[in-house]
Order: sequence, then C-alpha cells, then structure tokens
Amino acid sequence: MFNLPPPEILFQLSLNGALGGAMYGVAAVGLSLIFGTMRLIFLAQGAMIILAAYFVRALFYGLGIDPFLSLLIVVPVGLVVGWLIYQGLFRRAAAEADRNVSLLIAVGLMFLVQNLMTVIWGGNTAGVVTSYTASGIELLGVRTSFTRSMGFLIALAGTGLVVLFLRKTIVGKAVRAASEDMDSAMLMGISPHRVNAIAFAIGISLAGAAGVAVATTFPFNPFAGFIFSLKALVALALGGIGNVTGALAGGILLGLIEAYVQFFISGGWTNAIAYGVFLLVLMFKPEGLFSRPYKKA
Amino acid sequence: MSRALQWIATVVVAALALLPFLPGAVDAYYFSFLFFVFLYAIMAQSWNLVAGYGGQISLGSHAFFGIGAYTTAILWSGNYLWGSLYDSHPNIYYFDPVTMLLGGVVAALAAVIIGLPLLSKLHGDYFALGTLGFGEIVKVLFVNGGDFTGGAFGIVAPASSFDTLRPHYWVGLGLMVATALAIRALMRSRYGLALIAVRDDEMAASANGIDTLKVKVAAFAGSAFIAGVAGSLYTFYIFHVGPDSVFDLDWMLLPLMMTVVGGTGTILGPILGALVMYAVFDLARIVVPDYHPVISGLTIILAMLFLPKGMMRLGAMRRLKPAT
Repeated sequence: MFNLPPPEILFQLSLNGALGGAMYGVAAVGLSLIFGTMRLIFLAQGAMIILAAYFVRALFYGLGIDPFLSLLIVVPVGLVVGWLIYQGLFRRAAAEADRNVSLLIAVGLMFLVQNLMTVIWGGNTAGVVTSYTASGIELLGVRTSFTRSMGFLIALAGTGLVVLFLRKTIVGKAVRAASEDMDSAMLMGISPHRVNAIAFAIGISLAGAAGVAVATTFPFNPFAGFIFSLKALVALALGGIGNVTGALAGGILLGLIEAYVQFFISGGWTNAIAYGVFLLVLMFKPEGLFSRPYKKA
Repeated sequence: MSRALQWIATVVVAALALLPFLPGAVDAYYFSFLFFVFLYAIMAQSWNLVAGYGGQISLGSHAFFGIGAYTTAILWSGNYLWGSLYDSHPNIYYFDPVTMLLGGVVAALAAVIIGLPLLSKLHGDYFALGTLGFGEIVKVLFVNGGDFTGGAFGIVAPASSFDTLRPHYWVGLGLMVATALAIRALMRSRYGLALIAVRDDEMAASANGIDTLKVKVAAFAGSAFIAGVAGSLYTFYIFHVGPDSVFDLDWMLLPLMMTVVGGTGTILGPILGALVMYAVFDLARIVVPDYHPVISGLTIILAMLFLPKGMMRLGAMRRLKPAT
C-alpha cells in the first residue's frame, strides 16, 4: 500500500512524535492525580496550561526572565493556585455524591480562564521567541529542536518528581491510598480534603511546567487548551487511569501515533484515529496498556 | 407535578403559543430569544433523559445534534425525499415532519451502534470519556466526508424563502412541549421505572429481571433521537451546517449545565434551567459584550457552588439541610 520510508526519516518521525507527546504526557499526569483522588475529569487542565504559557510569556517580555528559568516561579505559583482552586471551588462539591457538579465547575473554570485570557491578552495567537528558539541539537544522529528536547526533559523531570513524591513520602502514600480506595483511606485517618487539595496543587503545578514547555515550543491562543485537555485524557486512558508513569508513557505513545498517522495517512484523520485508539483501549483494556492486569475486588 | 403547577404550565404554554399574534412581537428581540430557549430546552431534555433519569453521563450529545442537522441538510440539498414535488413546492423541506423525523432516527441509529459496545463495556466515568471521544470521531468523519458532507465548510441548505421566524417559534415550542410530555409519560411507564431502577442500583435492577443493557441503550437512543430532531430544527434556522458550528461542544456543555442548574431528573428542571441560563448569557452579551463569556463561566461556577441540586429542588433542600 505504501512504501516504508528510509530509516532516518522513520527515526526522525518517532523522535519528533515522542518529544511532542511528552507534553500530552505531563498534562495527563496532572489529570491522573486529580482523577485518582476526586474521580473528576478536570477539563480545565488545558486552559491552565495555556494560562501558564501566557504567564511565562509575560515574565519573559515584561521582566526579561528566561522561559526555562521561570519554571522556578511558575511551579511554586502553580502549587499555591492549585491549592486555592481546590479550597475555593471544589471543596464543597467534592463532598457531593453527584459528580456532575464538580465536572461543571471545571467547565465553568475553563470558560472563565479562557475568556479572561482573551480579555487580557487578546484572542490572537501568541508565542515566545528567544535567541535559542530556532536552534537545534544533534541527538543520536538526528537534528531536533532544542526547545522540544527541553520540553521532553521537563516532562520527564516533572513525572519523576511526582513518582518520587508518591512512593517515598508519607503524604504521597496517603494520596496513593486515597486514589485506590477513598473509603478505606478515610478509615485509616486520611483526610479526603487534604489529599484532594494536594492532588490539585501538584496537578496545577504540572500544568505550569507544561505551560513552560508549550510557551517555548508552540504558538498558542486562549482557546488552544481544550484540545490539550482532550489529548491528555487520551494519554491518560492509554496509560491506565491512576497510573502516573503510565500517563507519561501514554502521552508519548499518543505523540507517536499522531506523528505516524500524519505521515502515512493524512493530517485530517489524526484526531479520529487517536480517539479511536482511545475508545478501543477504554473498552478492551481499561486498566491501560502499561499496567499489569490485576484482580478486581 | 401538582395540579396547580399543571394549570400554570398549561396557561404559560397557551400564552406562548398565542404570542406571535401580538403586533410587533415577531420583530421583537425576545422572539428569537425564546426560540433559542426552546431549542436549548429540547437539548436539555435530551441530556436529562439519559443522564438525569438514566444515570449514564453522556458527553456526546453534540454529536447527535450535529448528525440530525447534517441529515436534514443532506436530505434537503440533495432532494432525496420529495423528488419532483420539490420543483412545484420549493418550501416542502421546511419543517417537513419526515425530514425532521429522519434527523432523529439517524441520530438514534448512531446511538444504538455506538451505545451497544460502549454501554456493555463501560460504566460511569469511563462511559462519559468514551462518549466524549465518540463526539470527536464523528466530527472528524464529517470533516473528511468529501462532497457528501461538504468537508470542512459543510453544507448550505438551498433556502428559498425566509421572512419570518414564526414557524420556527411554533415548531420549537411544540417540540419542547411534546418532548416534556413524552418524557413525563415515559417515566410513568414500566420502562421509566426500569430506567430509574438501573440508575439507582444496576445490580439490584438486574437481579429483578431487568435487561439493564437494553434499558440503557434505549435511553441513550431516545436521548439521541431528541437531540437529532433539535439539530434538524436548528438547520431550518441557520441554513449553513458546518462541522465547527453543529459539532461545537457548546451543544453538549450548555444543555448539560442548564439541566443541572434546573434540576436533573425532573421534567420542568431542564426547561427552567434553559430559560434562566440562556437569559443570563444573553443579558451578559448585551450589557457587557466584551466580558460575556467570562460572566458565563462565573455563573456556572456560582450556580454549582450554591445550587448544586438545581432550582427544582430548592424547596426540598431547605427542608433537608445537609450535614456539613
């Protein structure tokens, strides 16, 4: 049907796909944490990523702070903002059995953030252009963009830190326990509000880190976030809901699928095939592609 | 519904039906406002059937709305239904019951095809995620449909005469009332009881001999049918059916929000929610045009923080103050 391209092109394709997909992955890690404890599909995650990108842009053009250096500002701010979002918006809704309520609050937040960004920065496409934006680096014999590689590193580091936090600290263990079984966790004295707030804080700070990666790599506009949320959801399902490293791997896999579909079939079908894979995984391997099957209680 | 409420509803519907005869009403701003309230109320009822009564949160209603709209536009522009009658009666497709019915039927068929695998395999949030993915796939299918669907641009219906909104208004009102009455009757039937049983406890329902998959797929298809008819109605208003307009996520999010604000699992809730929320959005659009989506976002958040059970349950909430 089609000829296989030479291996260099195949490798280039895979590399670009993987690097781009890591950004979906880091967004998916945040979604995974929030979904894990609150069972909430946080549709506003993409909007928060774009908000962080605008913030990075303002820091760069306003104060001259290098976008990658601004990670030191964006990530702590994200922690605080995430904590505040939970306490202000979701705390009451988390106690409700009806999860439509928190889903709708997330939708409202998405509308609010998108449109506030439009009011403040206008609806046009914006970007961050630094002295190194156009520069490339040599990686295993293939040239790739420097900023994309940095985005990939940010995604790896962010996910790594979250995994360390979940495995090694007692609070992280509480978050994991709560995502596995909230009722039993509460019986062990874990406060649901506290773990929810921590999940939100980390989720939004990851959105901040993803915002840095997006700002340096892609042009963006206030409404670009929703597609990002959807892609992150797909990555989440591929990796297995509640599996943090799986979410990153799912993002990379999604990036690869997109790159291959674009090259071999057509750009117009990328989304349909990505969501098709998403549906198939949800139906036939709902625990994700990367986790060992476990017995359900 | 109490007897008094039934009387009030009858009087309101009669008054609304007579409104177009009022001099100047047709050209007034509130006339098109009411048309959109009817349209959103129908969509809200559609979502309420599967999610409010059925407990299956679907995030794919915009797909069925779009399928209904496209079906209408394709039948109309290709003149697949009426053949030579169309030449002598150029307005035959306007609000043609067969065309509108087919809009609903095609949407319902799509719902059965996708609902059978999704509902048998997925539960709760996974079903919601699946329907969201389904909506995106449908949109891409229509964008890539070539000449049949008009690609990324879509289809322009061959409208010939459009000088009044009156027929739109009446059809919209009629459909809204018919949908509400049909769902009310349905929920009092054996099937309605089974649907509520499945929502409240699927295991127990199944133990009592209810075929839960059949009940859920039927609710999903019924909801899609209503959304498809609403999409058909919208085509007669907008004429240009394009993937970005009729598959817009707002056709799912806004009705969902209206239902929750009005009260899920009630007959009047979706209508009340559509009226109130659309009024807030439209008011914001007129008073603060630059900020109106910001106000919409704020309204959703505030409504959910302070009215999580919806307006129809305000009284019940005050009586049963939840322990916090």
